[in-house]
Order: sequence, then structure tokens, then C-alpha cells
Amino acid sequence: MATVPLQAVFRRDFVTLLVLVDDEDTMDVVAQKVARHVINRRLPARNARMRVRYNQQVLSPEQTVAQAGILAMSFVEVFYDA
Amino acid sequence: MPKLERSQWYDLSRDMNWSFKYVTEEEVFPEALSHSHGIPAAAWWNWDEPYKISYRDYVHNQAEKEAGVYSVRSALARSKFFENLDPGWKAAIIAHYGVFAMPEYLATFGEARMGRFGRAAAWRNMALFGTLDEIRHAQIQLSFPHALLKKEPRFDWAHKAFHTNQWGAIVLRHLFDDMLTANDAVSMAIQLTFVIETGFTNLHFLGLAADAMETGDVEFSTLISSIQTDEARHAQQGEPTLRVLIQQGKKAEAQRLIDVMFWRGWRAFALFTGPAMDYYTPLAHRRSSFKEFMLEWIIKQFNDQFRDLGLERPWYWELFLQELDWLHHALHLGLWFKRRTLWWNPDAGVSVAEREWLEAKYPGWHDRFGTYWQTIAENVRRGDVAHTHPETLFVVCNMCQIPICSPTVGVPPQLVTHNGRVYTFCSDPCRWIFEQNPARYAGHLSIIDRFLAGHIQPPDLAGLLVYMGLSPDEQGTDAMNCAWASEQPQSAATSAA
Repeated sequence: MATVPLQAVFRRDFVTLLVLVDDEDTMDVVAQKVARHVINRRLPARNARMRVRYNQQVLSPEQTVAQAGILAMSFVEVFYDA
Repeated sequence: MPKLERSQWYDLSRDMNWSFKYVTEEEVFPEALSHSHGIPAAAWWNWDEPYKISYRDYVHNQAEKEAGVYSVRSALARSKFFENLDPGWKAAIIAHYGVFAMPEYLATFGEARMGRFGRAAAWRNMALFGTLDEIRHAQIQLSFPHALLKKEPRFDWAHKAFHTNQWGAIVLRHLFDDMLTANDAVSMAIQLTFVIETGFTNLHFLGLAADAMETGDVEFSTLISSIQTDEARHAQQGEPTLRVLIQQGKKAEAQRLIDVMFWRGWRAFALFTGPAMDYYTPLAHRRSSFKEFMLEWIIKQFNDQFRDLGLERPWYWELFLQELDWLHHALHLGLWFKRRTLWWNPDAGVSVAEREWLEAKYPGWHDRFGTYWQTIAENVRRGDVAHTHPETLFVVCNMCQIPICSPTVGVPPQLVTHNGRVYTFCSDPCRWIFEQNPARYAGHLSIIDRFLAGHIQPPDLAGLLVYMGLSPDEQGTDAMNCAWASEQPQSAATSAA
């Protein structure tokens, strides 16, 4: 397990965030870790699944940070998939 | 014996230009400090400016200005004017002093460098007056807040801010080291005086002076109006310097210097001046919106000057115009969210009436920004204050050092690898500025870099606040104790999907 700092934006939010994730975190977990800083703070929650986009690809929810090859300070975008 | 008219003696007494015999031009005017661009000495001697003030007149005029400003302060010292000011306006002036007092001191270095290494006697003469001006501006903007310390201890940040690692202070140091302390005479004449002083400080000082007078803060209005009269004079160093460069075939270099600093100035003034004008100034006393001030003081003026000088608008002009509609609103939201990291109490400025004003001045504001404030207001009404603060850092740009805000969906920051290190930039112009001279900027660590490098211990909010020099009593809170939130509509679930 290693901490990986990411630059993250939640779609429709206004600012890029520093979010610390684990290299074994799945994309579902990454999405939740990013959403924690946005949803119900500046954007309301929605009943929809969250997805992670990296390098212009939407990643599988089960894929881990390490499997996706996401390096420290990479940029990811999280969004509601609906 | 009759006195000569000034026009009969001024140029002769001022223009002490000569050819050196015992030293070389390079020894007297090292390129690192003068940056003459290979332009021969005599070509600089045509440099001229319109004010042609004598030292005697200068001292006389400045003494009168000082007497005027300090008499206003003395008169007001016996009143309750500060106590009666709007809390939002107090935020504007507490922020102002922390932002401007010490950079004025750095401007003293800049003017003095032009006063020694400028290539024409006329220029050095003007810069000497500029040096004295900037000493005055630093001292007076430390003296006035010092007199208010008993009423608001955070006026101490007029002096303190620049000596801390508060993130806004890092923004300012990065900018003013680039513009002033680490700059050469020619670049400074163009970047400090032509770009910043005839443009952005003019906007800030005259715009806020108008707002201050409307608000009833006669002291602040008088002070910054007085400062601006000096700026109007010594800012005249830029245009003649530009003319020499253009006449000597250095137009591209002149354009590059402008393009670099216009962008840097825009970003910094959007961060500090934009919120003061559109959110902190009481609604009833706003003379114009920030955008309207920008259109009046920046867009029109620079359009005219670029045309008159045969220069082009900066290459990113369209992007700049687009940012006029959204950037400072995003930055204000960020400032408010990070209010514990500020030395002033930001006024959210989003009561129902203020939101209507914002929508009228910036059509689309409600859909873009009102929805955030709606969610925030609901948290305030629920008593969920924790959710109105961030739990992580906002990523900042490795050039402007300002949080990276998004204009539209899915625009990522720009990541650039240089000598094995990844740099993050908010925009094409910030990336372009870095790439113009990577060695100049590459060693700097942003607040994010410092956090990740372990400079901030413990690596949490408490450690960050200590690192920034903010004790609990100094940390910002909402200027109105969030009274505005009670006016918000009850449901936020509609348009922020």
C-alpha cells in the first residue's frame, strides 16, 4: 500500500483538489474520496454511480490505482454517470 | 535678474548623459541589471517623459499631499468611523494592506534599480522620484493600519503577511520577485510601470477609492487616491522605454514582456481586487462591478495604448476576456471556503439582493455559481459548519500560485515535466510564461509542493495554519456570521444536478 496524491476535479465543481488515495484503491473508492470534498459541500448528492476518468478514458470501477497506472499528481475527473 | 522658465533649463540640468572613457558601458550598465538589448547608449538618450518635475517642486507637492492625508486621519481618529464601517468593507481594507504595503516597499528596490541602471539620465531622474514615491507608499500603508491596531489586531498583517507562508503571500512574493526584486531596469519599466501601474494598480486604487468614498471610508479613499497621484507620474517610465525598444527593432521583445506581466497582473488582481469590488463592498455603495471597472480602466486603456504604440494585444486576449466573466467569482468562492487561511473575514456577499446584482452584472452567474452558494447556505442553516470548510488543499498553479479553477467541465490543468519534475499550470498563458524562461521559475515550490515534500508538519489543517502563521484569533471567519444564509431559498436540489 502506498499513498498516491492526485489532482482531482469533480465535474461541475469549480476547483482542482489535492486528494490522497491508496495505490490499491479501486476507482469506486477513488471516486468516493474525491466526492467527499465536493458533494454536500458545493454540489448536492445524486442517486447515481460515480465514475473516474483518467487520460481521457473512463476506468472500470473495480480497477485499482496501480492497475490503471495512475502516478502521483496525475489528474483525474470524477463524475456522476447519469 | 529674471528667472528662466523651467522649459529653458530643465532638460539641460536633467540630461547628464555622457560617454565613458575610463570604464566600459558594460561595467557601468551590466546587462543583467540594465538589459539594454544591445541598443547603443545614444539611442537611449532620446528617452523623455511629460512631467518634467524638479526636486524642489517634488518635495513641495509631496509635503502638501502628506499634510492632506494625515489631516484627514487626524480628524477621523476622534470619530467612530472604523467601528461604523460595514464588516465586508473592513475585509476589503484589511486584505488590501496585507497585499500592498510590502510590495510597495519592494517597488522601492525596483525604482531604485531603474534610478541607477536605466540607460538615460531623464529616466534615472524620474526613477529617483519613483523611489521616493514608493518609500512613501510603503510607509503610509504601514502607518495607517498601525493606527487601527487597537480596533482590529489583524491590521498587523499589513506588515506581517509578506513575511509568512500564508498561501496568498506566496502568490504575492512569486509575482513581485518576478516583477521587482529579480528584474532588470528595462523589463521593470515595461512590466511594473507600463503594465501594472498604468493599468492594474490604477484600477485597484482608483476603483476602490471610489467605492471607499461611497462606503464612507474617507480615510482609506483619501489615502489611496493620494498614492495614485504619485503612481500616475512615475508610471510614465514605461511608454518612453517601449518607444526606444520599438524604434530600435525590439518590438517582439517588448511585446513578450507585456504579455508575460499582463497575464500575471490579471491573475493576481482577479484574486484580490475582484472579490473586494463584487463581494466585500456593500451593495448600496458599489459604483461599478469589477468587470465594468476592468472594461473602463484596463480594456479600453490598453487597447488605445497598444494601437498608439503599434503593439498587439497579448496573444491570449480572448481567453482573458472570457475569464472576466467567471474567474474572480470562482476565486472568491475559494477564498471564502478557505477563510480560515486568510487574515481577513471574507464577506460571502450572496444575500438575495446581492445575488440579483451579480446575475444582472454577470448573466449566468446564478446557474454557474449560485448553485454552490445554495448548497453552502443549506449547510449553514443546518448548523453543519464543518461542511462549509475544506478538508483538503486546493491545487495551485506552479506559475501564478493561485488555486486552479475550472471555467468549464473537464478542462484539466496542464502538466509539464521539466528536468524530471512535474509542474502544474492553470492555463496556457501560465504554462507559456514558465516555458519562456524555465530556469527562472523551476526551483520554486508551491504550497502543494511544500506539503508533499513534508515541509508542513503535522500534514493536516492544524499544521498548515501554523505553517501559514495564522493563530486561531487571526484566522478568517464569515464577515456577517453567515446571516446571508438565512435568506437563501430552501431547496438546492434543482439546478445543481
